Amino acid sequence: MKLFGKLANILGIKKKEVKILILGLNNSGKSTIVNHLKSEEDKVLNIVPTVGLNVEKFKYHNVGFTAFDMSGHGKYRDLWEHYYRESEGIIFVIDSSDTLRIAVVRDELDILLQHPDIVTRRIPILFFANKMDLRDSLSTVKIATILGLERIEDKPWHICASNALNGEGLQEGSEWFTQAICENIK
Amino acid sequence: MAFKRDKKEEEEGTGNPFQNLDKTAVLQEARTFNDTPVNPKKCTHILTKILYLINQGEQLGTQEATDAFFAMTKLFQSKDVILRRMVYLGIKELSNIAEDVIIVTSSLTKDMTGKEDLYRAAAIRALCSITDTTMIQAIERYMKQAIVDRNSAVSSAAVVSIFHMTKHSPDLVKRWVNEVQEALNSENVMVQYHALGLLYHIRKSDQLAVTKLVAKLTKFTMKSPYATCMLIRIVCKLIEDQNAASGDTNWSNSPLFDYLETCLRHKSETVVYEAAHAIVNLRRTSARELAPAVSVLQLFCSSPKPVLRFAAVRTLNKVAITHPSAVTACNLDLENMISDSNRSIATLAITTLLKTGSESSVDRLMKQIATFVSEISDEFKIVVVEAIRALCLKFPRKHAVLMNFLSAMLRDEGGLEYKASIADTIITIIEENPEAKETGLAHLCEFIEDCEHTSLAVRILHLLGKEGPRAKQPSKYIRFIYNRVILENATVRAAAVTAMAQFGALCPQLLDNVQVLLARCQMDGDDEVRDRATYYHSILASQNKQLIQDYIIEPLMVSIPSLERALHAYNLHPSPTPFDMSSIPLSTITTSDPTEMADRLRTPSGGVASEPTAQATARVESYYEKLSAALPEIANLPGTLFKSAAPVMLTESETEYVVRCIKHSFQSHLILQLEVSNTLSDQLLENVTVQLEIPEGYELIKETPIPRLAYNETQSVYIILQYPPSLADSVTSVGAVLKFSVKDCDPTTGQPDSDEGYDDEYMLEDLEISLSDQMAKVNKPNFLALWEEAETDESMNEMEDTFCLSKMESIQEAVASIVNFLGMQPAERSDKIVAGKSSHTLYLAGVFRGGIDVLVRSKLAVSADTGVTMQLTVRSTSEDVCELITSTIG
Ligand SMILES: Nc1nc2c(ncn2[C@@H]2O[C@H](COP(=O)(O)OP(=O)(O)OP(=O)(O)O)[C@@H](O)[C@H]2O)c(=O)[nH]1
Ligand SMILES: [Mg+2]
Repeated sequence: MKLFGKLANILGIKKKEVKILILGLNNSGKSTIVNHLKSEEDKVLNIVPTVGLNVEKFKYHNVGFTAFDMSGHGKYRDLWEHYYRESEGIIFVIDSSDTLRIAVVRDELDILLQHPDIVTRRIPILFFANKMDLRDSLSTVKIATILGLERIEDKPWHICASNALNGEGLQEGSEWFTQAICENIK
Repeated sequence: MAFKRDKKEEEEGTGNPFQNLDKTAVLQEARTFNDTPVNPKKCTHILTKILYLINQGEQLGTQEATDAFFAMTKLFQSKDVILRRMVYLGIKELSNIAEDVIIVTSSLTKDMTGKEDLYRAAAIRALCSITDTTMIQAIERYMKQAIVDRNSAVSSAAVVSIFHMTKHSPDLVKRWVNEVQEALNSENVMVQYHALGLLYHIRKSDQLAVTKLVAKLTKFTMKSPYATCMLIRIVCKLIEDQNAASGDTNWSNSPLFDYLETCLRHKSETVVYEAAHAIVNLRRTSARELAPAVSVLQLFCSSPKPVLRFAAVRTLNKVAITHPSAVTACNLDLENMISDSNRSIATLAITTLLKTGSESSVDRLMKQIATFVSEISDEFKIVVVEAIRALCLKFPRKHAVLMNFLSAMLRDEGGLEYKASIADTIITIIEENPEAKETGLAHLCEFIEDCEHTSLAVRILHLLGKEGPRAKQPSKYIRFIYNRVILENATVRAAAVTAMAQFGALCPQLLDNVQVLLARCQMDGDDEVRDRATYYHSILASQNKQLIQDYIIEPLMVSIPSLERALHAYNLHPSPTPFDMSSIPLSTITTSDPTEMADRLRTPSGGVASEPTAQATARVESYYEKLSAALPEIANLPGTLFKSAAPVMLTESETEYVVRCIKHSFQSHLILQLEVSNTLSDQLLENVTVQLEIPEGYELIKETPIPRLAYNETQSVYIILQYPPSLADSVTSVGAVLKFSVKDCDPTTGQPDSDEGYDDEYMLEDLEISLSDQMAKVNKPNFLALWEEAETDESMNEMEDTFCLSKMESIQEAVASIVNFLGMQPAERSDKIVAGKSSHTLYLAGVFRGGIDVLVRSKLAVSADTGVTMQLTVRSTSEDVCELITSTIG
C-alpha cells in the first residue's frame, strides 16, 4: 500500500478527483460495497434498495472518488446511460450466487459495452463477483466465461471475488481500479 | 452569495440582471452541471436563471426539461449548501415536466434523513413533489419519521408536503394519520398549525368528524396562536353549516359560540382579532352577540399599532352594510381615524362612515377625502369610488355633489381599473337615477376628450350612442363623438361611427347632419371605420324603418362564435339557398341583477363579482362544442342549440352521488345533460343511467348511459326528449331516479374486489322544465315603439289577463320573480323601480324556441290588503305562446 502511495506521487497525481459509476443488477450488493468503502463516520447502518441513484464520496489513497451508485432495478436500468459520458471508471457488481439471472447480467453488460459513450473509450472496468461467501456462488473464472469478458480488448478490466459484508476482496479490487484510473489520466 | 449580489445590483438601480435571458442559451449553459469538479457558484447562478425563466412563464418541452433535470442530478456530488438547496427548488419546478424524475428519490431520502439540517426540510418538499401514488411505498417509512421529527422545520415540511400530495391522491394521507395526530401536540407553533390544517383537510367533508375534532380541541388552549386562528375558522364554518341544516338562529348559547367568545380574551392579539372578525362576519348575529366583538374592534381602533387599527377598520368597513349598528357604535373612533397618518386607514375610516352615515354628513366627509385622495394608491381610490356608488344609490338627491367629485377623480391620473371603476359608477348612477343622466353624460363626454384607455373610450361611446338620442338635447353629443373620429385611433373611431349612427336612426331632425358626417368617415384610412360608415350611411339613406330598426337600433343578438362557426361551414359548403340567420342561437344576455349589485357594493373592489357574467356569455358556445362531441346526432335536430339553462342540483351537494342537470333547448327538442359524480371511494359504478317518468306529450328519443364511473369522477348521462306537440304540456315536472350497478372496490387502488356487481338506485329530486328554459332574452332598445306597432300588426296575437300575486309584498319582489319566471329581458329599464311607488309597468322582450318573438307588458299595483295585482298583456306572433305564458303564470 505504501508502495502504491508512492507510485501515485511519482505519477504526479496528488489530489485527484474522479467520477465513477457503480452498475449491476438490483440486489447485487452495489450500495453495500460503496458503504464499505466510505470512511467510518459516513457509513450507514442499514442499506435499502436504491431508488434512482445515490451520489457517494470516498477516498482511496490520495484519490477522491465520487461514486454514482445506480439502482439496478429493471425499470431504472435505462437511466444508467445518462451518467456514462463523464465517468472515468466503472465498477460492475455481480451477485455470483444468482445463477438464474446471470444471463440478464450478460445482456446488460453487452448493452453497456456497445453504448456510444462507452464503446470507443479506454475506460477501466472492475468486476466484483460479490457474495462469494454464499454456498452456491460461481467462481470468478466461471463468471468471466459466461459474461465473455475476454472479448473486452480495448479497455483495462479486472475481476475479483468479494464479500461486501466483511470487505473481503474489496481491497484487491480497489487497488487495481485506482491504479488503472491513474494510468488512464496520465 | 449569488442572491446577495443580485440584491445589491437592484438597489443600485442597474435593473434586473435576468431581463433578457434566452431559454436556449440558458439550457445550453446547464451543460456545465456535467463538469467535474462542480463549480458551485457558477452552477447556482445558472440554476437561478432556469428558475427565473420558468417563473416568468417560459414553457420547457419534455425533452428540454428532462435534459436539464438529469444534468441537475449530477450536482448532488457537490457539498455546497446553497447549490444543493437550489437543486431542490429546481427539482420541484421540473418535476411536472421532466420524465423519470424518480431518479433522485434515494438521493433525497438520504438528505432528508441525514445530518445536515439545512437539507432536511427542503429535501422533503422536493421528494414529495416527485413522488406519485405508485412510488409511495418507497418513502412511506421516512415520512412517518419526519412528521414527528424533533426538528420543527422537518416536521412542518412533512405535514405541508402531505397536504399538497392529497390534492392528487386524497387517500394517501390515511397511512400517516396517527403521526399527524401526534404532531398536533407539538410544542412548536407552526407544526401545530400545519397539523391542524391537514387533519381538518382530511375530515372536512365529514361533518361528524369535524364536530369531534372541534369538541376535542376547544377543550384546552392550543399553544399555537396560528392553530387557534385556524380553529376559529373551522368553528365558524361549523356554526354556519349547523345553522343552515337546522334553520335554528338561536345559537348564542351553543358551546361553539362560547368558544369564539373566550377567544376574544386570548393573550395573542392575532387570535383576538380573528375571533372578533369571525363573530361580526357570522350570518344572523343579534346585537347582543355582536357587542363583545365590536368592543374589541373598537379597542383596536385606538391602538398605537397601525396593523391593529388597519385590521379593525377594514373589518368594520366590510360589515358596514350588514351590521350598520355595530359600526355606528365605533363612529367616534372612526372619526378620529379620518386624520390617521396612515392613508389606508384614513380611507377605510371615511368610506366606512360614508356607508353608514346620514345624508347630512356626506358633504363634510367628501371634503375630507378630497384633501388626500391624491396621496392614496389606486387600490384605495377604488374603495372610495365604491363607497360613492353606494351613497348615490342610498341618497339619490346627493348625486350632484358626488358626481362632481367623481368627475374630478376622473380627470386625475390613474390606471385603467381605477378609471373604469369611476366610469362604471357614473354609468350606474345614470341608470338608477334619471335626474342624474344629463350631468353624468356630460362628465363622460368631457372625460373621453382626454382618455388614454381605448377600451374605456369605446364603452363610453357606446353608452352615448344608447342614451344620447333619448336625451333632451341630443345634438350636443354629436360634437363630442365626432371629435373622436378626428383625433383617436381606429378602434375608437369605429365606435364613434356606430354611436353617431344611433343618433341618425333615432333623431329624425339630426339625420341630415349625421349623414354628412358619416359620408366624411367613408374616407377614413382604416378599413373597419370605412366599412361601418358605408354600412350605416346606406341603411340610413334607405329610409326603410324596418331595416333601420333591425340593423342599427337593435344590436346583433346572435351568439358571435356560433355565427362565425356557421359562416365558416357555409363557406366550406356553399349552397344555393341563402345563409339563414335564424338558425344561429341567440347570445346570452348578461344582466346586472339586484343581488349581484348588492354584493358588489359590499366588496370593496368590483372586480370579483363581475366574473360570473363573463362565464355566462361563454356558456352557450362551449356547451355546443361539448354536446356535439358527446352526441353527434344533434347535428340532425332541427335548428341549433337555442338555450342552455343554468345548472340545477338534483341532489344535496354532500351526498354519496351528486347529480347536476343542465337543460339544453333546441327548436323542438330538449337535451338533458345530467352530470353524475361518484364520491364513494369504495365503489365503482357501471352503466349509470337516469330513469325519467316521461311526462305526457314528451317523447324519449335517445339516452346515453355512463359506462363506467370511478371514484371522484364526474361524467354525464345525456337524454334527448322531444317537446310535446301541444305547448301547454311543455311546462311540467319530471320524476327522476339514478340507476346503476355497483362494484365494491379497494379504496386505495380503486380495483374492484370482484367481477360481480349489484344493481342499485338513488332517488333524485324532481326535475322542473319551465317556461324560462324555452325562452331567450333579447334586448329591444326601443321596446315601446315595437309594442305600439304590434297592436296594429295583423300577424300579432294578443292575450291579456289579471292576476293576484298574493305572496308578493312589494313591487320589487314581484318584478324580480316575473323576470326570473319568464326568462325574458326587461326593456326600457323598467326593472328599475323608484322605491315607495305603488304602481309600476314592466316591459319584457324575449324569443321563444323556434324563433318566436314575444313582448310582454306587466302592469303592477301594490296595496296593503291584497298584495300585488298584475295585469299581464302578451303580444306574440304565436297564439300558442301567448296562451302558454298566461296559463303558466296563473
Ligand atoms: N451474503 C452476502 N450478502 C450481501 C453481500 N453484499 C450485499 N449483500 C446483501 O444483499 C442485499 C442487497 O444489497 P444492496 O447493496 O442493497 O444491493 P444493490 O446492488 O445496491 O441493490 P439496488 O440498489 O436495488 O440496485 C442486502 O441485503 C445486502 O446485505 C455479500 O457479499 N454477501
Ligand atoms: Mg443500491
